[in-house]
Amino acid sequence: MSEMQGKSTPNSAVAGNDPTANGDLSSHIFVVVPPSRMDRIRPWLPYYVMLAPGILYFVVFHYYPIYFAKLAFEDFRIFGDNPWVGFKHFETLFDSPAFSQVLYNTIVISTLKIVFVFPVPILIALLINEVRFLQLRRFIQSAIYLPHFLSWVVIAGIFIAALSPSSGVVNEVRGWLGLEPHGFMTDAGSIRWVVVFSEMWRSAGWDSLIYFAAIMAIDPQLYDAAEMDGANRWQKIWHVTLPNIAPTIAALFILHVGVFMNAGFDQIINLQNDAIRDQIDIIDTYVYRIGLQSGQFSLATAAGLFKGVIGMTLIVAAHFASKRLTGKGIW
Amino acid sequence: MGGNKTSLERLEHALIVSTLLLMVAVTVQPVLHLVAISLSEPARVPGMSGLRVWPEGLSLDVWRLLLTHPQVQAGLLNSLFITVVGTALNVTTTALMAWGLSRPRLPGRRTILVFVLATIIFEPGLIPDYFVMRELGLLNTYSSVILYKMVNAWYLIILIRFFEEVPSELLEAAELDGANPFQTFFKVVLPLMLPALATITLFYLVYHWNEFLRPMIFLTDPDMHPLQVVLRKFVIEGDKSAIVGIANMLNYEEASQISTRSLNAGMIIFTMLPILAVYPLILKYFTKGAMSGALKG
Repeated sequence: MSEMQGKSTPNSAVAGNDPTANGDLSSHIFVVVPPSRMDRIRPWLPYYVMLAPGILYFVVFHYYPIYFAKLAFEDFRIFGDNPWVGFKHFETLFDSPAFSQVLYNTIVISTLKIVFVFPVPILIALLINEVRFLQLRRFIQSAIYLPHFLSWVVIAGIFIAALSPSSGVVNEVRGWLGLEPHGFMTDAGSIRWVVVFSEMWRSAGWDSLIYFAAIMAIDPQLYDAAEMDGANRWQKIWHVTLPNIAPTIAALFILHVGVFMNAGFDQIINLQNDAIRDQIDIIDTYVYRIGLQSGQFSLATAAGLFKGVIGMTLIVAAHFASKRLTGKGIW
Repeated sequence: MGGNKTSLERLEHALIVSTLLLMVAVTVQPVLHLVAISLSEPARVPGMSGLRVWPEGLSLDVWRLLLTHPQVQAGLLNSLFITVVGTALNVTTTALMAWGLSRPRLPGRRTILVFVLATIIFEPGLIPDYFVMRELGLLNTYSSVILYKMVNAWYLIILIRFFEEVPSELLEAAELDGANPFQTFFKVVLPLMLPALATITLFYLVYHWNEFLRPMIFLTDPDMHPLQVVLRKFVIEGDKSAIVGIANMLNYEEASQISTRSLNAGMIIFTMLPILAVYPLILKYFTKGAMSGALKG
């Protein structure tokens, strides 16, 4: 027994010594199920101890909340038990113009981001790859990665200052062109573009890194061959670089579609103000407001659950699409 | 013909570099402008151009005021506490879990991985999270924001991939020396994996420092709010009381001239200073992490 244990330690490299690696379990299974199972587990006990705090965390903070999703099907009461009401809150949601607007905004803002923000890092990576001086390239990269690491509170503060009608840099530049100052942050017509541009400002630089890494991995001989054929800079980009980073582009595009329902909670909650709330109110900000600020917990839970289920469908679909198309899933 | 081609290429190169430098300017100018405002003489700020990236005169009034403001001081201490304790707990728990899950023959490994990954796929939402905190009596305690994202599933996966690379010969050698799995982990694996640990430590540090939403929701006592929430009160919610309160504390002349614009500028820069301080490390480790294709930050 002790000999057996010595051989079955988790780190032994020779598979034959490890009872867990024994492919032919069928011959033992009927004879000695309980002891052999214990023998199998015992050497791993210290590892389960290491896993325990993490597993406990996931149970308490990720699985326990699922239990409270039941609030969506109940009427929340401060005192006493919550009565079960079935899909009442979902019906209320789908009948309410407020929720339609919020759903519409979520779709519009996510779509705008995919159309106008998603391609920018690809472009940046292509341009950076053309920069011949290594030091200059590094300088550019170091500068444009920075906003990714700033909080949305800070970024919103920066945008409020830069877009200020009285003292902001953007309106100063507009002034040179003879244009009147414009209150971008409080104008219903422009606030969605502020959302799009601030997203670009924050993430386009950093996101270019992943494409740049893909470009770096391209076999230089492909460029040499294209050069021999007389290809110029743009032809090389079109015929060599782009086809070679296409799988990366496809994988990231699918990932973006997978998280489509996340239109940017942290961002929008900081860019919102009373003048333009309805233009950029998304499901997340709606849940926050009606739930945590107005105390309509059941309705808010229903809205959040609706988003969670759609989001789950999208990300699972995206995972399988990615696996089929690029051979690599999201997880 | 040949000479022509190179001059065209040079022109193209110059255009490409100019485009990128314009992006650099658009990224950096608004930040430098706020630094300039916060260091300018308060009386000269109202007329200052939005393009200006160096101060008008030089004055530390704004900074002196911010650093003596009780809400800012409390915010700084709260942020430091949450970030340091939170990150220490994050890294310890994530590393232990990743080490267990990186052992390919661990019984139940797949089940546990599926159990963890499922949490990425389905999120029950903000309100259920809030009710869990309420039910556990964690509302208005630092524990709520420290425990909330104790293990990030993506970072866990990154770390598992790093840990899978540990050569098994080293582990066998440690075992032959009589080390138990804990000793092996702390004395053999961790020292070998310092760069990987540095990477996820930075991930968690940046997360905790920048987080404002959960503290805002879970901590109802303003004295417990971290710096990001205080900044939000000043800049986004435009809470005048935060600024009016200052007037009573002032005991020097120029300070009465300090405008919201100066104060907000200083506060924004103050809140991002720690990120700027670790930015060289971020460039070193995050870049490596992203280049290895392991993450989509």
